[in-house]
Amino acid sequence: MRLRISFLLASTLTLAMVCVAVLAQQQSSTATNSRAAAPFAADRINKGDDIREINLDDLKKLLQRDGKDTRPLLVNFWATWCDPCREEFPDLVKVDTDYRDKGLNFIAISLDDVTDIKSAVPKFLNEMKARMPVVLLNVNDPEPAIKAVDATWDGQLPATFLYDRDGKIVFKHFGRIQPAELRSAIDKQVSGKQ
Amino acid sequence: MKKQYALPLFLAAVLIVVFAAVAGSGRNASDLPAPPAIGTVIDDFTLPDADGAAQSLASLKGKNGTVLIFIATKCPVSNAYNDRMEKLAEDYKAKGVNVIGINANNTEPAAEVKSHAAEKGLKFTILKDDGNKIADRLGATRTPEAYVLDTKGKLVYHGRIDNSQKTEGITSNDLRDALDEMVAGKAVSKTGGAAFGCTIKRIS
Repeated sequence: MRLRISFLLASTLTLAMVCVAVLAQQQSSTATNSRAAAPFAADRINKGDDIREINLDDLKKLLQRDGKDTRPLLVNFWATWCDPCREEFPDLVKVDTDYRDKGLNFIAISLDDVTDIKSAVPKFLNEMKARMPVVLLNVNDPEPAIKAVDATWDGQLPATFLYDRDGKIVFKHFGRIQPAELRSAIDKQVSGKQ
Repeated sequence: MKKQYALPLFLAAVLIVVFAAVAGSGRNASDLPAPPAIGTVIDDFTLPDADGAAQSLASLKGKNGTVLIFIATKCPVSNAYNDRMEKLAEDYKAKGVNVIGINANNTEPAAEVKSHAAEKGLKFTILKDDGNKIADRLGATRTPEAYVLDTKGKLVYHGRIDNSQKTEGITSNDLRDALDEMVAGKAVSKTGGAAFGCTIKRIS
């Protein structure tokens, strides 16, 4: 019994210390992240003609970023026909709201049919009050695109990837995100030293 | 005093190691075991069909091979393949290959699987994988997702049906190509393929 209590105490204390450290670091780095030029304007609500159609090469460039944008990058692959994607979207909108000013770039990549680019997709985004940039990936063969993102991904949606400043995947989740887990992964990136 | 902390410290260390292993595997803690490698023999299993009757893989397998496809009633991607899957089942039945559907979505009960199959004209057997045990064993993640077993029950193909949700966009008929090679007694040249699909709704 005593052992169990001391274990609980020890783990709670450790957790608390980690939280304090993360919070402190986060605050100190908030000011340093507004420099890099974003490939997409971040301060707009998505409207029909804002959603750009991209192909495989565009996707690769977007993920590699060519050193132009060195912010941590969150990428969410989704579609309006995907129920768990719709369910998790409010959480993603909150993540975008909470972290964009802290230096996180977030791009949502729709796998909807291109014929929905001016209808179902913007309608859903407006309902969600989503402000992150959204592109629609239009590829006839999805395999090269899926494998260009991650070799362990088979294409199930939703899929969420977090890239560090160097463009390396540091967190990924297939299926509906767990907000706390995602936020903790983002915290580590936005508070990291540059 | 020191002894008192030995166990908590040990437990913490174990937790860290477990966490690192899970994180390092590239999948999240909530994620599944990896699918069996191509060439693995898939052990027999028994699941109820949409009418609740128990069916074993051994009793359903075709004389020249078997296709297992994880499908859904509500997933638009899976539904886009209904006609193609039924045609596949009919075309390959004549070649001694049996197509079996598996619904592992905990959000889609057997009665719904049955009415959906009737409505969409799916005549092949559909098994209900309650608790997603077989989906877990096969590492299935999405719908539709196909597994091809040869006459010995060996996995020879695992992946998409083809490259395009729209029939007019099909340029790579991966599943049919694999089946044709298997039926002809050849080694399957392309043993898988990725495509976007709905995540299987597992029990939490």
